[in-house]
Amino acid sequence: MTELPAIIKNPIAPIDLVKYSGASGDFNEIHTVPAIAEEKGLSDIIAHGMFVMGWAAAAVEEWFPDRQLQSFGVRFQAVTHPGTVLVINGSMLTDNEGEIQIKDQQGQPKLMGTFVLKSGSI
Amino acid sequence: MVFDYAPFLVEAGKIKEFARALQLRNPIYFDAEAAKSAGYPGIPAPPTFTTVIDFWNDHNFYQLFSNFLKLNPNNVLHGEQAYDYHKVIMAGDIISAQVTVKDQFHKKGKNFFLLETVYRNQQHETMAVGRATIIEMTEVIA
Repeated sequence: MTELPAIIKNPIAPIDLVKYSGASGDFNEIHTVPAIAEEKGLSDIIAHGMFVMGWAAAAVEEWFPDRQLQSFGVRFQAVTHPGTVLVINGSMLTDNEGEIQIKDQQGQPKLMGTFVLKSGSI
Repeated sequence: MVFDYAPFLVEAGKIKEFARALQLRNPIYFDAEAAKSAGYPGIPAPPTFTTVIDFWNDHNFYQLFSNFLKLNPNNVLHGEQAYDYHKVIMAGDIISAQVTVKDQFHKKGKNFFLLETVYRNQQHETMAVGRATIIEMTEVIA
């Protein structure tokens, strides 16, 4: 098993989620409007799951800039609020198969997943 | 039970906006020449761009939820997501996506829906297959 270099992201800011809402078209206000998030019993707005998966995919691309994904699957493990610093770790089980984990700096798991790279480069 | 999204033209500007929102730095998403140098015929869509096809659609995810699954889209959580990638979706492609409900069940006070979405291009080639686990919250989340 080969460890991949850890990637530490900048803290998630509310504006990041506003931008992602507009870009993705996911306008669920739980991601952008604190009062709506509070109505749902949350302490603050939460990042889109697909925003976090987007960062996971970006991490794989950063680790393997010349290769493409064949498959990629994740489980969302906990909600992520603004201010959170996400730390992305990964490891390779074979030349093509890897695992990825995203946690906050306190170690709370946010996402876990597996990916398979296509053999050869682009 | 199948739900068809409307055919969706993948525009280079939308790829750029999406890539910026994810703070991607790879120039292949911003510059056709950089993409060609990297071996692509044009600007590729990032791996999770399929979300844009689902949401920015004339027959979109909200209609899928409200009319087809009879769910309030604001009462659902995304539990799991997986993709198989067959061919890279490129700027200029027209993608038609079709959703099939593969399973639905009730567990621990929550309703689970397993959705499979097949994304095909204008030549009817399968580009990607998405598998989502969507969880309907019958109570508040926390």
